[in-house]
Amino acid sequence: MIQLKNLERSYKTAAGQFFVLRRINLDIRQGEFITVMGPSGAGKSSLLNVLALLDDGWQGEYWFRDQAVHDMRRKQRGELAKRNVGMVFQSYHLLDDLTVRENIDLPLSYKDIPHKQRQGMVADTLDRFQIVAKKDLFPSQLSGGQQQLVGVARAVIHKPALLLADEPTGNLHSSQAKEIMELFRDLNQQGTTIVQVTHSDSNAAYGSRTIQLRDGWMVSDTANPELQPYEAIKQ
Amino acid sequence: MNTILTNLRYAFRVLRKSPGFTLVAAVTLALGIASTTAIFSMVDQVLLHSLPYPHSDRIVYVSQTDRPTGEGDATSPANYLDWLAQNRVFSQMAASRGWQGNLGGERPERIRITMASASFFPLFGVRTLLGRSLLPEDESPGHDHVAVISYALWKRRFNADRALLNQDITLNNEKYTIIGVMPPNFAPDNHGELWVPSPWSVPAHPLVPSQDPRQFRSRNYLDVWARLKPGVTLQQARSEMDAIARRLEKQYPDDNRDVAIGVTGMQDSLVSDVRPVLYVLLGAVVFVLLIGCANVANLLLARGKGRSREVSIRAALGASRAGLIWQLLTESVLLALLGGLLGILLAAWGVPVLLTLAPAEIRELGAVGVNTEILVLGLLLSLATGILFGLAPAFHLANENLQESLKEGERGSTGHGGRTRSILVVAEVGLSLILLIGAGLTIKSFVRVLRVDPGFDPTHLLVFSVGLPSSATPAQQDNFYRQVTESFQELPGVQLAGAVSRLPLSGGNSSRSFKVPGNDRGYSADIRVSTPEYFRTMGIPIIRGRFLTAHDIEGSTPVVVVNEALAEGAFPGQDPIGKFLLDFGPGSEKLQIVGVIGNVRHVGLEIAPHYEAYLPFGQAHWPSVFMAVRTRTTDPLALVPAVQNAVWSVDKSVPLSDVRTMHDVVARSLRQRKFTMTLLGIFAGLAVALAAVGLYGVMSYSVVQRTHEIGIRMALGAQQHDVLKMVVQRGMSLAGVGVILGVAASFGLTRLISHLLFGVSPSDPVTFLAVAVLLMSVALFANYIPARRATQVDPMVALRCE
Ligand SMILES: Nc1ncnc2c1ncn2[C@@H]1O[C@H](COP(=O)(O)OP(=O)(O)O)[C@@H](O)[C@H]1O
Ligand SMILES: [Mg+2]
Repeated sequence: MIQLKNLERSYKTAAGQFFVLRRINLDIRQGEFITVMGPSGAGKSSLLNVLALLDDGWQGEYWFRDQAVHDMRRKQRGELAKRNVGMVFQSYHLLDDLTVRENIDLPLSYKDIPHKQRQGMVADTLDRFQIVAKKDLFPSQLSGGQQQLVGVARAVIHKPALLLADEPTGNLHSSQAKEIMELFRDLNQQGTTIVQVTHSDSNAAYGSRTIQLRDGWMVSDTANPELQPYEAIKQ
Repeated sequence: MNTILTNLRYAFRVLRKSPGFTLVAAVTLALGIASTTAIFSMVDQVLLHSLPYPHSDRIVYVSQTDRPTGEGDATSPANYLDWLAQNRVFSQMAASRGWQGNLGGERPERIRITMASASFFPLFGVRTLLGRSLLPEDESPGHDHVAVISYALWKRRFNADRALLNQDITLNNEKYTIIGVMPPNFAPDNHGELWVPSPWSVPAHPLVPSQDPRQFRSRNYLDVWARLKPGVTLQQARSEMDAIARRLEKQYPDDNRDVAIGVTGMQDSLVSDVRPVLYVLLGAVVFVLLIGCANVANLLLARGKGRSREVSIRAALGASRAGLIWQLLTESVLLALLGGLLGILLAAWGVPVLLTLAPAEIRELGAVGVNTEILVLGLLLSLATGILFGLAPAFHLANENLQESLKEGERGSTGHGGRTRSILVVAEVGLSLILLIGAGLTIKSFVRVLRVDPGFDPTHLLVFSVGLPSSATPAQQDNFYRQVTESFQELPGVQLAGAVSRLPLSGGNSSRSFKVPGNDRGYSADIRVSTPEYFRTMGIPIIRGRFLTAHDIEGSTPVVVVNEALAEGAFPGQDPIGKFLLDFGPGSEKLQIVGVIGNVRHVGLEIAPHYEAYLPFGQAHWPSVFMAVRTRTTDPLALVPAVQNAVWSVDKSVPLSDVRTMHDVVARSLRQRKFTMTLLGIFAGLAVALAAVGLYGVMSYSVVQRTHEIGIRMALGAQQHDVLKMVVQRGMSLAGVGVILGVAASFGLTRLISHLLFGVSPSDPVTFLAVAVLLMSVALFANYIPARRATQVDPMVALRCE
């Protein structure tokens, strides 16, 4: 579904060019559940931002279902993202002024969907995530686990092909985390491709493939045992 | 005291720390305070200041008034003498009348002369600077050739020569002795540069100066002044004079039918024209100031967010609510004083500029710009302003922080402060819309007035005032105008020239009563005496019959040319040519109508033409005229020397005065309207600019505050145009609410300026719509910049800051 070829991301700092992603070659197939791991600052979030099409500052090739993202303009990338990508964040990023219902509706509001149909989709999603009773509450009235549940509901309401989750359970208790992970597994089984970032091995166990990042380099990939060891590349 | 000092010191430091904020806030306030100070200085000096006469609030202007319409008129000598004899409410009464005369010498000059009763100077209670003023002895024939001159004339004409007393001057070819010089600012009748006594203790009629005027009851030409007896109220004076008016009406039904007596405070009578204008402008600047305050309050609220930490630490260390509010108020007051000083400087510079645009009354009534009094007032105003705009933010900050103390920064994008800010911006937009509509209506009125056909063609016309001494016989006068006209026609560059007793739009008017055959009704018409060429010179068209001609002379049938208004009003559906005007004027003349000419706007472009009757110089008498010269040049003033020489070739002692182009005459008649329009325009412009800045500020701030939210939305699929739309929509809905409220308020408020409007309704839909669209476009622009900035939010950065 996605191919990254020699993708690089760097920031210009006072000290010079600072690379956060180096020569990333990654092939993500439809239906995979990938876990990205690595120490803090390794570039995990950066990679997710690139995949999410939020970032435009990289070099290299990015193919999305045979479309050359690297040749696209911002507007096209935005269109592509809003049709295909859903995002879940560590700190939920719900909008405080909107109710649960309105938060879930948000991604739909940026698409040309008839009002009726939108209402239907919101109702279905509330139902599916069993949060109908909470639909008129504000985020501040929910527990962390419930908020993340809403966050996931919001990320998948428009049935994205790719779900990206950056440490989705980082702020949750293990029981809440488990709930979210099982949700991911269900979504994955229903066909959603998932890329999650996590520090937890138990979370990673839900996935089908694990990638390790260090200092911007991809140092291991369970789907590609031949990947050169990190130290060797670094020379 | 100590805390005040500490507060002040701290406030200084805070303002110095953020110079950008301080500058923007101070300039905003300065604009508001400058506008308010400027207009208030005019209001103060023109409307509120007492006139430079002792107990001037006791001086009243008394005049004959038309009972049905309430329109004031001049007073007849016989009525004046009856008022004087019968009233018990005035301690003094005086009468005067203005005219023009020739002051002889090497450079003959036409000056404004007031003939005043001996009671005139004592009534106003101003002592002469030099010599003495007029006394009853001066009123006896043979002793009446004395003159008191104004300070201005003394300086201009006589180099402020102290040896001038008892010297002789030539006035209208007669010798007068100067007996006194008045101090500056003595101008009770707003006319005289030189005062002469009244031979029969009542000023003589200018057209028949050698007749005893005391029996005249149908000739109204006097200004009458009186001083209320101690303890007598204006109301009492009015009811007494009303009783006298009704008595005189019974006694002299012919001359006094429907003649009431108006009694007005002197100040009131002088400022009645400009008062409404100044009040409207004052209202406008108060709006500007309020908008400025709202802006600064908004800035403070925005900045307050950045300061909540500091304030909460102070609170945690035990500062009381009152103490916090005090400290924050000290800052805003200091800021206001800074803006106030800047504003007063701006006003001190701007008011003289504005005064050059002002109608003459405003300057004549002593508007001089910013003085100490106004300075103090401006500073007090700043103080009040500082408290006004500082109060809300101070309370806000103090409250919020005491309640939530050191809790984490607020999360909501539209917290409580956000609402206050939105309300302020809505109010700003609403207020500026009201001003803009006011300005729009006055501009439209001005355009309408400019489009009025004056009834003559002002291009290429040179006009001036000229006259023989009033002692000249009618034949001499007529001859003089004829000769001068002829000598003009020989000048290259001159097409035609004519003379008329009263020039349109030049102030001054005279009317006569008349009747028509077969009808007992009395009419009144403005009277003009003119040469035959006058009509063609001015471009006034003949509608029926003929113009006056050189054959209309003494001895032949007395004729008259009337305007269309008179023809249609007094002879409806008839051909007036050959018909007669009967009982015309005090001489009860019978005049045959020989021509009908087009209507001329005499009093003002916006005032419907009165009935007009034109008599020939050969048969009527007028000792002072305006001459109109139709030139072939676009710069008629270039002909002035030639014209002056042509006059002198006829009579070396005759000066010209008020030399102008007719365009200038028209322009001057529009001066007050233009002044109002310009100032309202300036204030509306300021208001809109400030409101736009306010809107921009609020939206920018809200964009900064919502960066995180915008980032989330972008991550969830919002495209740049979605973000743009969201921000613009919010800003425009604020502006829209402001516009709607402003329009609603305007429907009520524009009624207050309806008297300043012409040819446009106070709720003119076109103006309302145009202004609303204009303001919304400005708002769109003010919103667009922050909205653009919102689209530049980098979701990665926004989402990172957790
Ligand atoms: N806008 C930026 N400017 C400069 N450096 C950045 C920026 N964003 C991220 N980085 C750097 O990129 C590196 C990778 O960051 P990130 O992808 O967030 O790591 P991770 O998610 O693996 O902890 C870090 O060293 C971080 O400091
Ligand atoms: Mg990260």
